[in-house]
Amino acid sequence: MRALGSDALGRLVSATTLDHCAPLETAIVETAGLSNVWSATRLTFVATMQRECAMHGSAAIAGIGESTYYKRGESPHTEFQLACIAIQRAIADAGLELGDIDGFVSYTDQRNTPLRLARALGLKALRWTGIPWAGGGNSLAAAVQNADAAATAGYARHIVVFRALAQGQFGRYGQAGAGRGGAAYMEGPFAWNGPYGILTPAHQCALQTARFMHDHGISQEALCEVALACYANAQRNPRALRRGQPLTREAYHASRWVVKPFHLYDCCPENDGAAAAVVTTIERARDLRHRPATILAAASGIGPQFGTFDVATLGSAHYRQVGEHLWEQAGCRPEDVDVAQFYENFTGPVLMALCEMGFTSPDALEEFVAGGRLVGPDAAFPFNTSGGNIGEAYIHGFEMINESVRQIRGDSTCQVANVARALVVAGPGYCPGSAVLFGAPE
Amino acid sequence: MKRALGDHWALPSLDAHTRDFFTAGVLTLQQCQRCRHIQHPPEDVCEACQSFELGGFASAGDGRIESVAVVTQAVHPLLADRVPYAIVLVSVADAPGILLAGNVVGREPDGVRIGDRVRVVFEDATDLRSGTPLKIPQWQIVE
Repeated sequence: MRALGSDALGRLVSATTLDHCAPLETAIVETAGLSNVWSATRLTFVATMQRECAMHGSAAIAGIGESTYYKRGESPHTEFQLACIAIQRAIADAGLELGDIDGFVSYTDQRNTPLRLARALGLKALRWTGIPWAGGGNSLAAAVQNADAAATAGYARHIVVFRALAQGQFGRYGQAGAGRGGAAYMEGPFAWNGPYGILTPAHQCALQTARFMHDHGISQEALCEVALACYANAQRNPRALRRGQPLTREAYHASRWVVKPFHLYDCCPENDGAAAAVVTTIERARDLRHRPATILAAASGIGPQFGTFDVATLGSAHYRQVGEHLWEQAGCRPEDVDVAQFYENFTGPVLMALCEMGFTSPDALEEFVAGGRLVGPDAAFPFNTSGGNIGEAYIHGFEMINESVRQIRGDSTCQVANVARALVVAGPGYCPGSAVLFGAPE
Repeated sequence: MKRALGDHWALPSLDAHTRDFFTAGVLTLQQCQRCRHIQHPPEDVCEACQSFELGGFASAGDGRIESVAVVTQAVHPLLADRVPYAIVLVSVADAPGILLAGNVVGREPDGVRIGDRVRVVFEDATDLRSGTPLKIPQWQIVE
């Protein structure tokens, strides 16, 4: 039987405290008699601050790696080879050897299975494998959460979390066909949308974004600001596929529509590449090569509505519960985040998630993003500092995990000063959503 | 009525959940026979009372546009001459809470607005695998 380390005990105590705090939080919100959910969300944060809850932080990312990123179809390697490259680099970055790895976690219809990887990379043992249920990039942070739980519990010692994606080798996300609809008969869940030409994530997110814009009077400029920030930050990043291609406001508005309200530049590209990170306990991570990026808190889930197309949550990114749960666990507030990466398959869901995660409200959103407030290391809100899915590469968001680790280490190409907390919000618009907060070790 | 996206565009595959919706010729939703809860898409279990006794509910077919987006870039060769087309989500007056996906017939895509009142109409098609006639629900703006 394995003894619980002090960090694990701390986590149990923290969880117990939270349970006792819950009625207090509810009481505060209900006493205020607020019907405005945005105000209620902010009050929740106040309640959280009063708890003095211990942070998590029993596991950390000790190494990161990625393949070269390619435009779709330009990779000289197969998807599996890309995965092997990223994983080997992450292990080397940590100062570990292949034989030290004993777990794999990924997300989304992952073709590069743990058994195949363990054979190819010559692992000595495989003690943990995991993949979160459902979805696409929305499970990105849930995968880190899964590895955090396994490392903290001691089920495995060094767990690789990774994503490899070669849309050149396999089907394109932005096209119907190749098993993603477009066949003569739409099966199962595709039957409800496919016959109507609702076929891609862009179509779904456009419907959610259109309703959000309608309900809150959000302009096209707000979407534009997200795209401009991703492109601007990518200009600093040698890994970024959009480096050397700066975007102007005029070019954004002049670009073709893909699905209104999304212009071409509201949509992430289709890319080929892989990225990986090594998760282990904070104690082991401290003995390795780099400054660890501690996993302070992670949250995944949705509720009480669970459908993507649902009247009550149509104009949302489904991230309110993710935010509430994350801040509750982390014992801090959105204002305490130094740098944030928001998964942008499309710009619209980012705007919704900024509100639902508690950074702003729909009424204040235009001003929150306007005038370059998201651009560069000195931004009012440092955001997608590597360029993100839109500017760096669409590796299903995993490039955002690695960028957050770089921010904690202090070696990003768009380095924010003195980063103590770095946030990744995965795949808004889809559910169940997830988010992870990294911290600098104490 | 001819199909909004062309006679060759993909059809719904018929199964226990989709059959009534796409063949009845009236807007047929799934309803719990025990608690009368209406849900969409259909499930094997009532999501309100967990009963397995599920049947059909014939809606009058009056709805409201809850969201609209206009697809301008075709994502399949069969849709190349169909763009731009409007995709909508419609709430149903006599089945609160649910949303149905669809297209709007009889109006330019850029003229469709959230809040527009609509009424169900049906596209004709045939499931060539079984010979079953299909009646695919679509939406027409009520002026």
